[in-house]
This record gives sequence, structure tokens and C-alpha cells, in this order.
Amino acid sequence: MALDPKIRINLDRSRVLLIDDNPQALEALHAMFRGFGVRKQFKCGSGAEAMHVVKTQELDLIVIDSSMPDMDGYDFVRWLRRDAPDISKFTPVIMLTGHAARSMVEKSRDSGANFVVSKPFTPEILLQRVFWVAKDERQMVVAQGYVGPDRRFKNMGPPLGVKGRRRDDLSTHVGAATAPNLDQSDIDMLMKPAKVQL
Amino acid sequence: MSEAEFVKVKYRLTEQVAQPGGMTAGLASERAQRELAAHAGDAMKSLGNMIGRLEVMCRDKTASLDQVYEESSTILDIAGLFDKRVLCDACYSLCELVDRQRTHNKQEWTSITVHVNAARLLWTRDGQDPETLKSVVDGLWAITDRLNP
Repeated sequence: MALDPKIRINLDRSRVLLIDDNPQALEALHAMFRGFGVRKQFKCGSGAEAMHVVKTQELDLIVIDSSMPDMDGYDFVRWLRRDAPDISKFTPVIMLTGHAARSMVEKSRDSGANFVVSKPFTPEILLQRVFWVAKDERQMVVAQGYVGPDRRFKNMGPPLGVKGRRRDDLSTHVGAATAPNLDQSDIDMLMKPAKVQL
Repeated sequence: MSEAEFVKVKYRLTEQVAQPGGMTAGLASERAQRELAAHAGDAMKSLGNMIGRLEVMCRDKTASLDQVYEESSTILDIAGLFDKRVLCDACYSLCELVDRQRTHNKQEWTSITVHVNAARLLWTRDGQDPETLKSVVDGLWAITDRLNP
């Protein structure tokens, strides 16, 4: 679904952290966000540098390349979601990916990024994802094996026969009635509440 | 199964994008495109140099699969930011080929060289005759798919 070109978007005050080990790619990203109207940008060439920025700055969005030496994008987001200062822990993240090597597929799924943008992409696509992030209403899941936005975009409840892990998940099992059926007058009372004299 | 905790998060970005002012998405995209175009010349030069390094690897046949993968992946990264679709597809095929060769524990330079030569051709003919260039990429995928994932 393309972003409506007439929709207004204001990123003047947003503080964006861009992370890519390739200086040319980093400059290109910087140029794109400048075009989007972002004034405050932090550019980092490594995960370690970015960790320092996260610890010392308030950020509104992080855009990171998945493939980097030493600490790749997935490891960085894992660190962010688990070990970063509380104020930054749930900062939205857009992950940029090139080729996903087989060994990385699971890592990518469990990284905890809000959205993944695969290359090649246009500035329009990137802006659309920024907009999606801003409108992202998914809750953050904090579990032993995963910390990040709920990977289910639509809550359809737990699969049939599986006990739900959410507190508000309802059981799929319909048990035997525990009370007698309501008679018609009880039902009428529910549908047409009568005025009560106090 | 451990109990998962659900946290409702309110992003500052949500409030910021809705603030009065700013610009339309169309204008923001156009501006970004213009800003990016200023870097395109340098990027194309770097892509040419990177393909050159791959050509040297193919000639010497001493590089490891990891080195070929790294170089190809970097080309994909840069080309991807500048929406060089066919070159990206070719490098994606090369990355996939090398990844499959790694999985099968075999290094076969002929198919890598075909990819690198094709990447040079696609880089040289950037933007020309999309149908023909697409057929080149389809050919590369046919080579990659000879090896099971």
C-alpha cells in the first residue's frame, strides 16, 4: 500500500540514529533523511559507536543496516531491546537488509526490529516505513527468547488447542454450562432495562 | 512455556509526525531523491571499483567464499540505496550462489565469474534496455538454482 503523497509528515524535531559500516551508504541514508526534513541525525559506522549514542542521547528512530562486521544489525537491536537504558529500550528500529544468508534468517526474525526494508528501495519506500513506524500500535513483547514488537499484526487469538500466552487470551475450549439457561424474562430485562425507583 | 509480558509503548515519533508544519510525503520523497542524486556519481564509481575487486578475485582464484560474499553484499548494499534494481538482483543471485556453495562446502569459480562478468555488464549498461538486462539476471538465477539451497 503506497503512502498517499498528499499526506503531511513532520520530522523536523525527530532525532534519528543512522548506522551503517559503509561510509557511502551512511552518507546516502543521511541525504535521504535530510530530504525528509530530519534536522538532528547521528551517524555511526559501527554497533559500538551506536551503543554510545544510545546511552547518551534521546532518539526517536534508529535505522540500521543488518550486515556489519563485529556487531551486526541484529545483535545491535538485541542489545538495544534487552540491555540499553530503559528510556531507549523500545526506540523504534527500521532494519535495512541486502541478502539474507541462511544462517541469518532466524536471527533476523528474532531481532526485535519494528520493520525490515529489503534493498533495493526508494526514498518513498523508506518514508512509508517511517510513517508505518509512527503509526505502529503493536505492543512490545518481553519474553525470555524475544524482546520486540508483537510479531502478530492482528491478534487472532492463540492457535486452536494451544493455551494462549497473553494475559487476555481467551480459552478456545467451550465447556459445559455451569448455570441454568436464562429464561425469556431475564433476557428481556437485559435488553430493556427498566427504570428503578430508589 | 514462559509467561510473556506485553508493554504498551507510545512513540514520540507518533506525536512528531502529526505536528503542524512539515511537508507532504510527495515533497519529502522528491527532496530525498534530489539529495540522493548528488551522491549517485560517486556511488556508481565505487560500484565499478568493487566489481573490479571481484574480477581480480575471479582471476586469481585465491579469495575465500566469505570474501566474495562480503564484496558482493557490499555492492548490493550500495546499489540498493540508489535503486539499481538489476545490479542488485545480479548481486543477490551471487550472494545466494556463494551462500549455497558455502552450505555445500564447495567453491566453484566458473559460476561466480559468470556472475561477476554479468555485474560488470549491468553496471556499464545501467538504465538501458531493461528487458534484455532482466533476461541476463534470469540467466544468473538459472545458474544459482542448479545448486540446492
